[in-house]
This record gives sequence, C-alpha cells and structure tokens, in this order.
Amino acid sequence: MRRITSAINTASAEFKTRAACNRARVAEFREMQRAARDDRPERDIRRLEKHGKMRPRERLELLLDPGTPFLELSSLAANTEYDGESPGASIITGLGIVSGREVIIHADDSSVKGGAWYPLSVKKIVRCLDIALENHLPVIHLCDSAGGFLPLQNQVFADRYMAGRIFRNQCLLSKAGIKQLALVFGQCTAGGAYVPGLSDYNVIVRGTGAVFLGGPPLVKAATGEEVTAEELGGAEMHTSVSGTCDYPAETEEEAIAIGREIVQQWEKPKKWECQRDDPVPPHYDPQDLYGILPDDIKKGFDMREVIARIVDGSRFHEYQPDYGTTLVCGFANIWGWKVGVLGNNGVLFNDSALKGAHFIELCNQNNTPLVFLQNITGYMIGREYERDGITKDGAKMIMAMTCSHVPKFTVMCNGSFGAGNYGMCGRAFDGRFMFAWPNSQIGVMGGEQAANTLADVKAAQMKRNGEEVDDTVLEELRETTGRAYMEQLSAYYATSHLWDDGIIDPVDTRNALGMAITSALNAPLGTPGYGVLRL
Amino acid sequence: MGHDTPPFKRILIANRGEIACRVIDTCRRLGVETVAVHHLSERDARFVRLADTSAEITGDTPVAAYLDADQIIATARETGAEAIHPGYGFLSENSNFARAVEAAGLVFIGPAPDTIDLMGDKIRSRQFAEKNGVPVAPSVTGGEDIDAFVEKAASIGFPLLIKASAGGGGKGMSIVEGQQDLLTRARTARSEAERYFGDPTIYAERYIERPRHIEVQVLGDGTGKVLHLYERECSVQRRFQKIIEEAPAGHLDPALRDEICAAAVRLSEAVYYRNAGTVEFILAPDGTFYFLEMNTRLQVEHPVTEMVTGLDLVALQLDIAAGRGLSLDQSEITLTGHALECRVCAEVPEQDFMPATGRILHLDPPAGDNIRFENGLREGTDVTLDFDSMLAKLVVAAADRPAAIDAAKQALERTVLLGVETNLNYLARILSHPAFRDDPLHTGFVAEHEAALAEPDLSPHEAARVLMAAALTFREFRTLAFDAPEPYASIGGWRN
Amino acid sequence: MKLKLRLNGTPHEMDIAALKPDLELRIDGRSHALRETGGIGALRRARIDGEDIAYHQARSGNRAFLHLGGRNWIVEFVDPRDAAREKVQGSGDIRAPMPGVVVSVEKQPGDPVTAGDTILTIESMKLQTNLTAERDGVLAEILKSEGDVFEKGAIVARLQEEEDSDA
Repeated sequence: MRRITSAINTASAEFKTRAACNRARVAEFREMQRAARDDRPERDIRRLEKHGKMRPRERLELLLDPGTPFLELSSLAANTEYDGESPGASIITGLGIVSGREVIIHADDSSVKGGAWYPLSVKKIVRCLDIALENHLPVIHLCDSAGGFLPLQNQVFADRYMAGRIFRNQCLLSKAGIKQLALVFGQCTAGGAYVPGLSDYNVIVRGTGAVFLGGPPLVKAATGEEVTAEELGGAEMHTSVSGTCDYPAETEEEAIAIGREIVQQWEKPKKWECQRDDPVPPHYDPQDLYGILPDDIKKGFDMREVIARIVDGSRFHEYQPDYGTTLVCGFANIWGWKVGVLGNNGVLFNDSALKGAHFIELCNQNNTPLVFLQNITGYMIGREYERDGITKDGAKMIMAMTCSHVPKFTVMCNGSFGAGNYGMCGRAFDGRFMFAWPNSQIGVMGGEQAANTLADVKAAQMKRNGEEVDDTVLEELRETTGRAYMEQLSAYYATSHLWDDGIIDPVDTRNALGMAITSALNAPLGTPGYGVLRL
Repeated sequence: MGHDTPPFKRILIANRGEIACRVIDTCRRLGVETVAVHHLSERDARFVRLADTSAEITGDTPVAAYLDADQIIATARETGAEAIHPGYGFLSENSNFARAVEAAGLVFIGPAPDTIDLMGDKIRSRQFAEKNGVPVAPSVTGGEDIDAFVEKAASIGFPLLIKASAGGGGKGMSIVEGQQDLLTRARTARSEAERYFGDPTIYAERYIERPRHIEVQVLGDGTGKVLHLYERECSVQRRFQKIIEEAPAGHLDPALRDEICAAAVRLSEAVYYRNAGTVEFILAPDGTFYFLEMNTRLQVEHPVTEMVTGLDLVALQLDIAAGRGLSLDQSEITLTGHALECRVCAEVPEQDFMPATGRILHLDPPAGDNIRFENGLREGTDVTLDFDSMLAKLVVAAADRPAAIDAAKQALERTVLLGVETNLNYLARILSHPAFRDDPLHTGFVAEHEAALAEPDLSPHEAARVLMAAALTFREFRTLAFDAPEPYASIGGWRN
Repeated sequence: MKLKLRLNGTPHEMDIAALKPDLELRIDGRSHALRETGGIGALRRARIDGEDIAYHQARSGNRAFLHLGGRNWIVEFVDPRDAAREKVQGSGDIRAPMPGVVVSVEKQPGDPVTAGDTILTIESMKLQTNLTAERDGVLAEILKSEGDVFEKGAIVARLQEEEDSDA
C-alpha cells in the first residue's frame, strides 16, 4: 500500500466554490437534524416534565458509556412525510457502547405525539432489528410509546414488514442468542407490550412505566372494569405478581443504572478476525471533501481523492490501476480494518464491470469486507456496448456482489442512477449499512434526462390525440414533471423513506464506516459461493 | 538505671493497642518477656504479634474482658508472669484489682492500693491536697443561711460559679461577675436547686476563665522519694478529651513552673507515692493554680515528657515495681527542647468529632529521629466502636516550641493513614493557627476558634485534583476509562 | 453517563469527554486532563492537568481514601442505583448518622409523627443522639430495637410513603 498523492489544489477557485457550496449543504443538513432532534412543541415537553420523565436523548446519554461514540441512524427519517409531524419518525436508533459492549438502541421519542408509531416509525424499528439480526448486535429498547398512530393504521399493522415484523424479529434475535433489554419508561400498550414481553431482560419504572395489552380506557369499554394504569400493568404488579417484568426501578435514572448493570453481565462477543492494523488518521484532511465534491451533480471528481480522505493514512493498494479505469478498486484500512474499496470514476463499461466482479471475488477469497463509494450514472448503453455484452458483464458484477459472504457497506457520495445502483450495492442488496451524503441523488435516471423523457412521452401522447404541441407547452411540461422528479431524487427524500441508514456529513464518513464495520464483525461470515455467472 | 539483669523475667500487660505496644517496646529492650491478653476480635492486632505470647480473654464485650480482674490475674498465673502492667484506662486505677494482684503473689506495676483509693476519691483527694499545702479551687457550700453563704462566697473572689450541690446539667448554675449580683443569684440558685433536685444546698467556687490544663509528671519509689519530670500542657481538648499535649508548657513563667512542680512533688511525697503518676492542675490567667486530680498511672501523653527528659518512664515504672527504687536525683532531670503530641483519632471533626469506623487499609507513618508514632495498628486492623477512638499518637520533638510546632505539622502532613476518617487534617489546622503558636492556650481553644479550624472551602481546581486521583481508584471509573473497546475508545465521544 | 462523587460530603459530577490519548474529564462543568503514570501498591502517580502528582490511595467499597498534598481526603462514589433510591425515599428514611447502639425506642410503627419528633435515641462513644423524623408522616417500621448495634448510614426506621399530592 502506498499513500495516495492528492492532486487537489485547495487554493484553487474551483475548490473554493465547491467548498462553499458543500459547506452550505452540510449546514442545511445540520439544521434539519437539529430541528428533528430538538424542536418540540412546548406542550409535549411540559407533559414529559410533569410525569418526571427525561427526554429520550437525555436517557440515551445516561445509558451510553461516557467518552464513546454514538452513531445515530436515519436521523431524518420521515422528514418529508406526515407534514413533518414525526421528526426522525419519532424513533431514535443507533449504534453505541453500553457497559463496554456494542449495542443497537431503539428509543421511542415520547417528546412527539406521545411516541406514537407512524408507518415509517415501524419501518425504522424493523430496520433497527434487522441490523441487530444481520450483525448480531444486542438491542436495548427504551420504551415510551402511545402505540400505533391510529389514523394511519392501514400502513402500520397488517403487512409483512409492518409492526408484526418487530415482534417476529425480536423472537428471532432471542433464538439466535442475541440479547435484548427493554427499559420501560412509559406505557407499552397492545402490540407495544410485546417489546418488553419479548425482550430477554426488562426493567420498569415505578409510577410511569406500564405494560398491558389493553389500557384502562379499552378495558372499561370492553368489560366495564375500572382500573388504573398502575394497577393494570404497573411496575409493582408486573415485577411481583405477573413476572412480565424483571426489575422495578424507582426512577428513570435507576432503570438506566439497572440496565447498565444487566448489560455488564453479558458475554462479550467474539468478532471474526478481519485483518487489522493499528488505525491512523488519513494523511489528507477530511475537510477537503467539501472542496472535492462538485457543486453540480454533472461535474466530475476523482474518487481516489475521496478515498484519500477516508482511509487510514490515506494509504491505498490499487488493483488493476490501468484497466477498467472508471471503477477504482483497491485495498485500504478504515479504523484499522482491512477493506476492499470500489469507487466510481465514471460510467461502468464492460471492462470496469468485469474488474469489479473480479475484485469482489478477491475480497471474498480474502475475507475482506467491501466498501462501495457510489457516484454512478449507470452502465454504458448503446449498440456497441450491448453487442459487447454490457448486460451480462453487469450481471456478473451484480451476481458477485450479491453473493458475497463478506459484509458490504455503501456510501452514496454523489449520484446513483440506473442499474449502477444495483452493481454498487444499492439498498436492495443487503449491505450491512448504507449512508448518504447530503448532496447525493438517487433515481432510475438523472433529473434532466427524466424531465426530458417524461416531456417527450407526454408530447407524443398529445400528438396522438391531435393536440398542438408548441415549445412553451413542452417547456412547461419539462418544468413541472422535472420539479416533482427532482424532489424525489433528493437524499432527503431517500432518507425520509429509510432507503438508507441516514445522511451523514462527509467528514464523518470514516467514523461512521469504522463503527459500522466494527459492529458488523460480530456476525460470523456467511457461506462462500456464487450463482451462475453468465460468461 | 544501669542494672544488668531485667527487673522481671516476664510480665503480663493488661491492656491493648498502642500502650501495650509501648510497654512491650521497653520490655524487649530490657529483656523482659511479655504476655499480652486479647479479645478474640483482636487476635491479629499488632500488640498481640509483638508480645512474646498472648492469651485470649473473654467477655460480653471486648471492654468487659479487659475489666475482668479475676480472669486477667488467672491468665498471669497460668502464663508465669511475675507482674502486671495495667497501662492506662481499664483496671489501671482499680484498687481492688491492685490488691487482688498482690494477693495472688504478683507485682502490680503501679501505686499502693490505698493511694489509688485516696486519689480516686474527689473529695478526699482534695482535702488531702489542701492539708498538704497544695492549692485547691476555693469553694463554699451552704445555703441554709444565705447571708453567711454570700459572705463566704464573696471572700473567694469574682467571678464565681454558683451551682446546685446535688445538680448537674447546667440547671441552677450561674456565673456571678461581682458583688452586686451575688445575693440575687444565690437566692435564685437555691430555689432552683430546691425545685429541680429537692435539695437547696448550693455550692460556689472560683470561676476560671480561659483555664489552662497543666499537669506534672512525678515518679515515686514508695519510700517518700519523689522526683518530678516537669510539666505538660494539655489544654487543647475536644469533648473534654485532650487532643494535643506538649512538654514543657508554652508561655509559662519559670518561677510559676517551679511552684507548680513543687506542689506536685509535695502532694506525692505526702502519700509516699510509688510509680509514675500525674498531678493535674488548672491554671488561671492570673497565675493562680488549683489541684484538679492525680492520675496514679502512666498517662497517655507520657511520651512528650520522655522526649524532653530523655527518660523511659516504663523502664522506671518497672524498676520501681521491682523494688529497685529510684537511682536518679532531681538534679539529673533536665529539660531539653520541646515536644508535642497529637492524638490521631478515628473521628469526624466536622460532625462534632463523631467517632468513625473503618479498617486500616494503608499505614505509612512519618519517620525521623525526633518522631514517635505510637500506635497499635496494622493494615487490616478494624477500627470499631469497641474501644476508644484514638488510633495513634504522633509525638514530635524539636529544639524549641516553634520548631516543634513546625515539625509536628510536617509530620502530620506526612502521615498516611487510609481506611478510616481521622482528625489528621484538623490537628494540622490547629497547629497552623496563629493563636496556638503565639498565645497561651486554654481549654476553650477548640470552641473559641471553631470557625477558623473548620475545613476550609476547596478551590474547584483543588477539588478536581482530588476527585481525579480518587476516580482512578474506583473500579467503575476504571472500567469506563480504560476498558472501552477499540476503535470506540479512540473515536471518543463523537456524535454524528 | 455521568459519575457522581462526594468529596468531604460535597457532591460533584464527573463526565468523561474523551478517553484517548489522555482522559479528558469534565468536573462540575470544567475540563481537566488526566493520565495515570504508574505506582506500586498504595502509592500512585498521575499527571493531572499537566502536573505530576504522587499520592497514596486505598479503597473500601464505595469510599476512596487518599493522601494527597499533605492532606487526607475521602471521596465517595455514589452508586447511581443507591442515589436513585435516596432521591425518591429521601426524607422518609431515618438513617443512623454514626455507628452506635440503640438506647431507647420512643415511637411505635403506626404512630403519627411530626418533623423533629424523636423516633429513637442512639448512643455512640458515650454520646446520646436523638434520631428524629425529617418530615411529618406515619411511622411505617422501626428496624432496630433497644440494644441493637448498627453501622453509619443504616436505616433504623422508615416513614410510610407520602401520598401523591399532585392535583
């Protein structure tokens, strides 16, 4: 491995323009994140205070080991939905360290609508538990939710990946020996009752915590019985009579302290031995990324410059440097862990697809995790390329990537269009974690192409119907279809729908990948093997 | 002095802790074998280990075991001890014990039993002192004839303390500053005495403001020969117990010193005193002094006297008890330098000197030619409420009083005694107080300077320093600080 | 999470902001650097805010005894679980301020008490102390009887829990 020699001139006008643009993007992202985390109606805050409850993030900080990181996932989930009434989808998830052990945390955000679960809340919890299953990460549930958001129950309840999936995942986690702890700070009603019910350990706070299938109003309606929440499913009853809960706590602080003590009893998992060196920070300043990433998605950049600002010591062993040059492949270390990096430097041609497939096979042979840095407009199209078998070469890359038994990680660095998204380990391909940069876009095709295509289709339709199509009408069509399409291309739209595990500031990429890779190594490697490669 | 053979072959020490260790120390030097007695709870104590042999004694409480005269005498006979050293406290001033020891054919290392009886009786000892020209605080008792009482009381001089003869607890007690208040106060006191105690007898004595506690170390061989080893001052007290003692007293006129020492010798000669003993006086700011009591045993604070006279009081006790008399003459006893003793106690000065319990986890006493750290401690020793809260005595000598104060302060600061709350910091604060150095002491010193002696507020910097050092000792902190897994520890408290 | 410590009875909060290369601590809001530099047995060395410090230490349960800078210190680690319980039950518990023995019991369980009422009298080093109710209430239980001995901090009696008074 050798240090990448950067060709970036940080004093250039281009660098400065790009930096200004990207810093503004990140500032916008940070502000959205701050608002999603902190801005709450006064009334909700007062209600929490009245019940002597902490805000969910206060609980989180008390739970986590001091001086250790927390990688929050999907902090802007649901940001484009429900008129913004479910910031972060009313759920906080993330990777953290509790009593020296890596855990994934699911915390209900009771500071918004009593922590009610919206459809995307459910999706976020399910994703959290999927991560736990895939990476063998213990789960800590911080329960404080009013239950499913009733007006949208048709999108919450019935289908395969809706609420039931949470409990299905809980069962499979326990079966796999992956521990779960639930700390019950508020009410866990109906389905929500199964979160502590299906956890291996649980703690309930006296006075505010309650677990029941039907709350007092439902009981009254059903049987006429009048009963308080505390009598029906409070700490005293569940820890001394029903045995549904394990430990009563006098305060939220105590519940967290008990929780930390419980986690301390857990065996420390053995990670599979990925090759590791002592970590060193990148030689080049990650802040340079702002000036490297373009201010316009159509402008290019050398992915090696990005790699140089993420990997240890900016050191990189490039594979086949002179072949299939639109796909940069090579070995590097991230926070010490040896990884194979694939980054786009242009459209994927036959040779770059073949190089990618081969490199993925090398990494599997070598038990080296894969990191995909996406900036892809797609596989090359056109008569010549089809004749050369671009589809079957792309298929080889997709087959090799899909069937990899090593963990995969993806960062959406800029564009992600067409089948290139697949070959570079898009969301559908079960990468362990996927992060997006605020500038990134994702779609079947780029915005301008889509606008043109849509306008062309519309114009053709109008012509068939004998309507007059002039340029102004066409322009207007392009404009309206384009705007709607562009909104959906945005990283914010993607992250809102949990198409990734969250937008991150580019300079945080090294830490995010470092934590993601470290966590992923808890799960044993899968079985090596591929399907039929079309040769 | 100068005997070739040990005074005894073997003695039993009917005590424990630092004083047992102290006695053993001299015995070892003299070639006297020692038998310690211990309660089961102290079977691993330092004095048990230092003694040649130790026998277990039993009792309902550990203290009860040490008060069981019969058991201790039986143990002495069983172990072949010729004599018993009682130390201080426990049976040391129990005449029945002394008689029983003698009746058992053993030697009691102490005075004649009758002397113990005489000096142990407040009224008789006072009368005896008065008869032998030792000043006692003037007092008058009466009240039936109020005018006669007032007349006699006025002759004592003011201020006066009037109290009910039968009383206590401050009821019917008052301080009278001058003649003009005397009659009214006496009447009030009499009616209160009648009302509270059913006995109108009242009592007036000279009220001494800012009294000093001065005591004289004496040695007598029982033939009437008595030497004094000069005085000690023990005015710094808390809860009526001494915490800092010194020899000689500071700010004391030499002529007055001679007068006080002579009075002590006079009293001791009159009883044909045998053994080391201490005659305690109250000294008023005007130079008048009054007999308080005589302690017929080795005193806790005896080492300060040893430091300034160069004598070994325990060795002298043994010689006297063995009938070897006193080969010393008064002219051979000279004072050199100044010595201070600080009583290191397991207590919380900030909470009214409430006793503290714990276990000695680490002990690293200060060392030096002029430092004695008298103690019965080992690492692992439990500090309980079974016995007195005194853990050790730090005794320091230097050329003069200011130097001794500085040396004692330094020695206190070098004393590492971990595992129980102690008054070490408090003692150092007393020694640092200008009034301790510059002014005559008095028994109200601790109360007078309460605010100045309180634990000073810590600067945030100082507090943080201590907290960080302390944090390193806690497993909980260490786990968090040093056991965090990598790469998380290196990533640190990052948030995305 | 934050650590709670008590120095000479005064509570302090300690947060670990960073673990490497040196520990970065925040104590009562101020930032400090700490590195352990060695030591044998009770004698330890640390670099605290750039200054090399040697000190003696020993620990007994939640209490650390230190000899640092010529003075003795006792620092108590406040167990978060104990602290949480104290916070809630607080004044309802009557705790022994010092070790000792019960001399007399003045009240019976079920008795109504007013703040300041003596519940029992204890003796410690020949000094008798009255243990009193910190608030009005009803005596729930007395855990020690005459002649019983106890350690400092032991709960000797307990008041019934207060009724929730929120409107």
